[in-house]
Amino acid sequence: MATQNVLAFIGPSVNWWALLPQMILLGAALLILLVSALAPKQSSTVFVTVTTVCAAITSYIVAMGLWNDVQRDGPSSSIASAFGIDGFSIFFTMLILIALAATALLSHGYLDDEGIDAPEFHALLLCSAAGAIVMASANDLVVMFLGLEALSIGLYVMIAMHDRRQEARESAIKYFVLGAFSSAFLLYGIALTYGSTGSTNLIHIRDYLGAVVFRDQHLLMAAMALLLVGLSFKVAAAPFHFWAPDVYQGAPSPVTGWMASVAKAAGFAALLRIFFAAFASHRIDWTPIVSVLAAVTLVVGAVMAILQNDVKRMLAFSSVSHAGYVLIAVQAATDQGTAAALFYLFTYTFMVLGTFAVVGAMGRDDEHPLTNYAGLGRSRPVLAIGFTILLLAQAGIPTTSGFVAKFQVIAAAVNNENYVLAGLAMVTAVVGAFMYLRIVMAMYVDNEENEDSIPSWHWTTTVVVIVMVGFTLLAGLVPQFLIEFAEDAVPILIRG
Amino acid sequence: MVELVWLIPTLPLLGFLILLATGHLLGEPRAGWIATAFAGASFLATFIVLVGLLGKDSHGGGRSYEFVLFEWLPAGSLKVEAGFLVDPLSITMALFVTGVGALIHLYSIGYMHGDEKYSKFFLYLNLFLFSMLMLVFGNNLVVTFLGWEGVGACSYFLISFWHQRESAATAGKKAFVTNRVGDWGFMIATFAIWSALGTVTYTEISNSPAMSAATGTAVSLLLFVAAAGKSAQLPLYVWLPDAMEGPTPVSAMVHAATMVTSGVYLLVRMNNVLTDDALLVIAVIGATTALFAALCAVAQHDIKRVLAYSTVSQLGYMFLAIGSGAYVAAIFHVITHAFFKALLFLGSGSVIHGMHDEQDMRKMGALRIAMPITAATFIVGWLAIAGVPPFAGFWSKDEILLAAWEQKNIGPLLWVVGLVTALLTAYYMSRQVILVFFGDQRWDDDVHPHESSWTMTTPLCVLAVAAAAGGAINLPLVKDWLVLEHFLEPIFHHPHHFSSGTGTKIALAVISVAAGLIGISVAVLTWMKHRIPTDRLEPEFLENAMYVDASYARVVGGPGTSGFQKTADFDRRIVDGGVNGVGRAIMKLGQLIQPTQSGYMRNYAVAVALGALAILVLLAWGLLS
Amino acid sequence: MGIAVMSLIAAQSASSFPVLNALILVPIIGALVVVLLPNSRPELMRPIGALFSSIAAALSLYVMAQFSIHQSDFQFESIQSWIPSLGINWHVGVDGISLWLVVLTGLITPIVLVAVDPHHDPKPYTAWLLLLQAGSFGAFLALDLFLFFVMFEIVLVPMYMLIGGWGYDDRRYAATKFFLYTMAGSALMLVAIVSVATLSAGDQSVTFSVVELAERQALSTNTARLCFLAFALAFVIKVPVFPVHTWLPDAHTQAPTAGSVVLAAVMLKLGTYGLLRFGLYLFPEASVWAAPTLATLGVVGVIYGAIVATMQKDLKRLVAYSSVAHMGFIVLGIFAFTTQSLEGGVLQMINHGLSTGALFLLVGMLYERRQTRAIEELSGIQSAAPIFAGFFTVVMLSSIGVPGLNGFVGEFLILIGSYDTRRWWTIVAATGVILAALYLLWAYQRVFHGEPTAQDQETADLTLKEGLVLAPFIIGIVFLGLYPKPVLERIEPAVHNLISHLEEHSDFVEPDLGQPIIVIDHSSSEDHH
Repeated sequence: MATQNVLAFIGPSVNWWALLPQMILLGAALLILLVSALAPKQSSTVFVTVTTVCAAITSYIVAMGLWNDVQRDGPSSSIASAFGIDGFSIFFTMLILIALAATALLSHGYLDDEGIDAPEFHALLLCSAAGAIVMASANDLVVMFLGLEALSIGLYVMIAMHDRRQEARESAIKYFVLGAFSSAFLLYGIALTYGSTGSTNLIHIRDYLGAVVFRDQHLLMAAMALLLVGLSFKVAAAPFHFWAPDVYQGAPSPVTGWMASVAKAAGFAALLRIFFAAFASHRIDWTPIVSVLAAVTLVVGAVMAILQNDVKRMLAFSSVSHAGYVLIAVQAATDQGTAAALFYLFTYTFMVLGTFAVVGAMGRDDEHPLTNYAGLGRSRPVLAIGFTILLLAQAGIPTTSGFVAKFQVIAAAVNNENYVLAGLAMVTAVVGAFMYLRIVMAMYVDNEENEDSIPSWHWTTTVVVIVMVGFTLLAGLVPQFLIEFAEDAVPILIRG
Repeated sequence: MVELVWLIPTLPLLGFLILLATGHLLGEPRAGWIATAFAGASFLATFIVLVGLLGKDSHGGGRSYEFVLFEWLPAGSLKVEAGFLVDPLSITMALFVTGVGALIHLYSIGYMHGDEKYSKFFLYLNLFLFSMLMLVFGNNLVVTFLGWEGVGACSYFLISFWHQRESAATAGKKAFVTNRVGDWGFMIATFAIWSALGTVTYTEISNSPAMSAATGTAVSLLLFVAAAGKSAQLPLYVWLPDAMEGPTPVSAMVHAATMVTSGVYLLVRMNNVLTDDALLVIAVIGATTALFAALCAVAQHDIKRVLAYSTVSQLGYMFLAIGSGAYVAAIFHVITHAFFKALLFLGSGSVIHGMHDEQDMRKMGALRIAMPITAATFIVGWLAIAGVPPFAGFWSKDEILLAAWEQKNIGPLLWVVGLVTALLTAYYMSRQVILVFFGDQRWDDDVHPHESSWTMTTPLCVLAVAAAAGGAINLPLVKDWLVLEHFLEPIFHHPHHFSSGTGTKIALAVISVAAGLIGISVAVLTWMKHRIPTDRLEPEFLENAMYVDASYARVVGGPGTSGFQKTADFDRRIVDGGVNGVGRAIMKLGQLIQPTQSGYMRNYAVAVALGALAILVLLAWGLLS
Repeated sequence: MGIAVMSLIAAQSASSFPVLNALILVPIIGALVVVLLPNSRPELMRPIGALFSSIAAALSLYVMAQFSIHQSDFQFESIQSWIPSLGINWHVGVDGISLWLVVLTGLITPIVLVAVDPHHDPKPYTAWLLLLQAGSFGAFLALDLFLFFVMFEIVLVPMYMLIGGWGYDDRRYAATKFFLYTMAGSALMLVAIVSVATLSAGDQSVTFSVVELAERQALSTNTARLCFLAFALAFVIKVPVFPVHTWLPDAHTQAPTAGSVVLAAVMLKLGTYGLLRFGLYLFPEASVWAAPTLATLGVVGVIYGAIVATMQKDLKRLVAYSSVAHMGFIVLGIFAFTTQSLEGGVLQMINHGLSTGALFLLVGMLYERRQTRAIEELSGIQSAAPIFAGFFTVVMLSSIGVPGLNGFVGEFLILIGSYDTRRWWTIVAATGVILAALYLLWAYQRVFHGEPTAQDQETADLTLKEGLVLAPFIIGIVFLGLYPKPVLERIEPAVHNLISHLEEHSDFVEPDLGQPIIVIDHSSSEDHH
């Protein structure tokens, strides 16, 4: 019997094809590590960058294949339905892969200048990318937590890697400790969820909650609360945002971009998966909380942003208020709202990566005072106009993707008659605009010329900026394709 | 021939355009001659049209012709045409406007000799003539308003013609703004009429049913506000004395003969909407103005200011006539006044010219030797305005006094006021004549007064003839001699007829003549024979025009200015301050929560914990849902 | 959108050359061309820019020429599906109300490009001006709320850049204030736009088409009123109406001449145009409900603006405040709801564009000569520069509203129209005519009259080029003053349309024109000719 039992173990069926994207990334990471270990000579920055970019591209192609499958056959899941293969997860996979390629290119020049060990950096980058994908696709809370940690740990180290800089290490520690702190909340939330629903699998949870009526649902509520806290921390929603400015400022600019785009995106992916999909039946309970979070986040983000004088801190707070906008879409708890959130995150990724590309390039030994930008409109007109477009996009000015994104968020809020929140969002947008205008102003109005050439300016940066600006305008002028993309991605974890 | 009416205003306009294009090239004296030619041509055209009109049957609407050039302001049911109305009234006005106008053009050729803006002066004169004719011929209120404002603008240009002089610039501005007050009345009146009758065209207004009493009175009073502005009645007269800053021909043409009478024209034109209540007000204000201005004139030393106040006073007479319902008398006086007042002004101009721009009568005297023609003509004008028969002034003034006497409510009182005014008029004019032309010379020896050139004296002579014989157009007593009255009859719904018997008429006439003679003799005794001490007759109080103007100035300069300034400060501090305040408030809010961003991990952790707690509480106890 | 739009789109493909789209695109292309020009040839920028904006101007004149009179609905309509999943179309069209604003926008920009020398960075300067033209065209032509909002908001950027990049000392403050103030105004409008679209969808599909939404009138009274307020806020700030006007003086004073001219001539009109096209048209009942308040604000603006203008020490600031006064008249006209007042309002938008635009040009020229706008530093200019003074006088008189010039026509129609429905407002507003004379003549006296100082004596007179630049303005001023009929008769059908729309959807009835206000006779209240 015992033997029988031993032999009776049958592993879950695994859809390897669906896992290919992450695996490619991890493979690339391993390859880089091996090469750098065995043949240090060959492991030049160029080599690793190329490897990472290629990895990103290939897995993107795979993801596209997966997308078509899902659109054809509908969503599915793998590894004992712990890992979702649905439009939603693939949408985020693609987003993360784009961010990955961009970050790899951005870090290229940076690593050389700052003398950071490229192979390690890229290996970590790939790992955290894989983690992010797992987090976004996880149908099981435990797996999701794994992904989150993979993403975060990679980040901690990447931030700290810039060992010459005090601030880098400081912010790494901050991020690490507070991250761990919030992870604890998340973990406990997972436990309570298990306690109240008897499962950590989102699909089971959804079905269970759909079927059962609690006499006393305090436990479940507590679970929701803690999960919300943990994820709010990751997406830097007030009042869990305090780490963001310090860490953003301290971290190397490419990493900041990575943090702002991917960490946020993955966090929201998880948030939507858990709350919109799994806790759908209890939306009456959690939507109010989320709308409160959104309101607080919007106000804090906007009001704090205008007080900053360091561009990176400005953008940190702006990323906080962007979290607020996405939260508005989340609290709508409708397909439209979710689609709006996806659209927002996708376009935001492009804006923020482009922005930090420029910021990184403009930084003088990672100092980012506003004065760096004085007279840029004269000395580097093309760069200046590109940067201006990215900033105006973040401010939500029409003809940029940022406007369409805000528009959809507002529409989502209006649709479930949350006019107050919609109005608040628009008003804080005006306040926030002041901060973006300060940067634009510095570039065009302040005419004290500082002609000294921008320190770390690498053609890869140019490529990234051009792509990001181009996409921002494209998605602003003809957003239809992206909206459809987001809408198709919405149906989440349909079947087990 | 009547349809040639479009020529009348077009000719001066043409002159204006030519001078505008080529004035600086033409220069002196060609520009002057061109302008004069066009003014003269316009007079001829008017005469032709008159002849044409006389050819028509005078009964019914037989002598009222409308010519529409084009639709000016078509909006919904409002149809404002750019059109002319030729009828006895407009043609009468046009005749003396163009006539006197042409003469003054001619006069200016000599008077403006040597001025560096010579051609510009004539450009303005022609433009003025054009506007004045639009005012007269307009077939609806709006076209009239076009001319109305046009003459206002031109008088602004002409008063501040020598704009380097601060006083001239100020006077021009003052004239325009004060007139604007009247224009406000004009506009509101137009709106009210349109809103009540649905038309702004004169013929339709006069044929449409009467407005409600209230509206009617309101409209009449608003129209009178407009008239009071243009025709310098109390309390809006203040701009006219200052207007003497302009070159003398301007004073003669704009501020004596033509523009200032357009108020009278307007009221006569609108005679059938004026209500009795309104008429009473008009009569009282007219009479008061007449007396007031006459008193002020008594104590002036500037040769032109005397005439200015006398103009205000004479205009008062005209409104007294209108108020008493004697529209023909008003128009009659408008015409005679145009003759003798233009004559007097031009004469004074000639004097000033000869005295090298000396205007203070105390520095003149005995000029009759130096400039005989000027003196002779001036004396004719004096006799006319003093109301000495058979000069023109006598007839018109006599009719006005008669009308005042017959005014229903307070006739006798009005008549007395008019009479006193007549006496004063005779007095101050005699005083002027004596001070200027008689007595002993009081000018310094380096001044060499001389007679002016023929271009200046010819108009004087022509006007002198007119001032002497002008009364002939409307002689009383014999029915058929009332040419003007018969001619104007068609434009009145209820023609005004004097009820008094011939006896009363003659009595009143005698009394008024007597008053005139008393005035003259007092002046003679005082200023020639020096029997009466002069100083008591020129009290400070009157010399400063009873401080009306001064008190206006004090109000505008004091409370007015400070009030405006306060508003401006309010705008900067409160309104704009509020806006910036919002921005500052947001900043404050930020600074309030700034400290939470301390940079210490422990605080951040606490924040996370507290936030978690809050959410926990809210959710677990479902406080929000 | 639904079937109606689908069929329209279908009709589109067959229809002729979409001139309105071209109108919007040509300046954009021009901007791109200018940007691609080599920096080594700065002298090319403005001519090329002027060329493109003139093409746009020619197109706008073509539209004017082809515009069929006595047709009240939109012409040259062009509609393409843009963001179908949100129910948004690229939908443009022109009617009597927008026609003349389009023409004005078309003509002003090339003139400004020719007239004003930026002194530095001609390339971006030209590009921004072209984009401004494109955006303004778009805003006046848009018949889709989303499209309108995009255009309404996007024009801020070029103007912001012009003020910030080429303005005077305090440009940083002025530009930011301008941008944020206007943006704050339109913030709630976006919410309202979405609300209107979604709430009036009902069982039909969501649409942002102005025409369709105006027809549906599906909102409840209160919702409509709230949405109207959100719209109105955006527009009254743009006009600007007292008490939200204070961005204007700063923006005008600090902006470069070109900026001031376009701002005054074109951008302010976005506000009044918006009130007409979106306020009255989308929310007839709410407009009638709010009319007394807005008319009052307009009248207050007339008096207040004039009073404050009188006390200004900076010539440009003075003109800016005069704008507040003039725009007040237009607001009164709009909310008096009579044929005359509305026609006058639309016409006055053009008049204000001409006269104030010209005033700013003249002040700019004066600044070029004297490097100052302070009134007390100038005097006796007329003796030194008589022709310049002459031009200034004509424009000034038009701004004062002297008959025979354009200013009078607009004011007169507004006031005579408002008298029936808003009697006391009109009587008060008319006093603004007195004040206008006061502040302008006083300023003129201080600057042009009096004895010139040595400096003033050297002030050069108008050059031929400047004269040619001003000529179009003067011609317009005189022509519209003497023969506004061609303009009015094209405006009238659209206005009638608007009023009957108002009467249909509210208890407002236009008083039987020219009859006492008491008479209320619906049958004869419209088409009274």
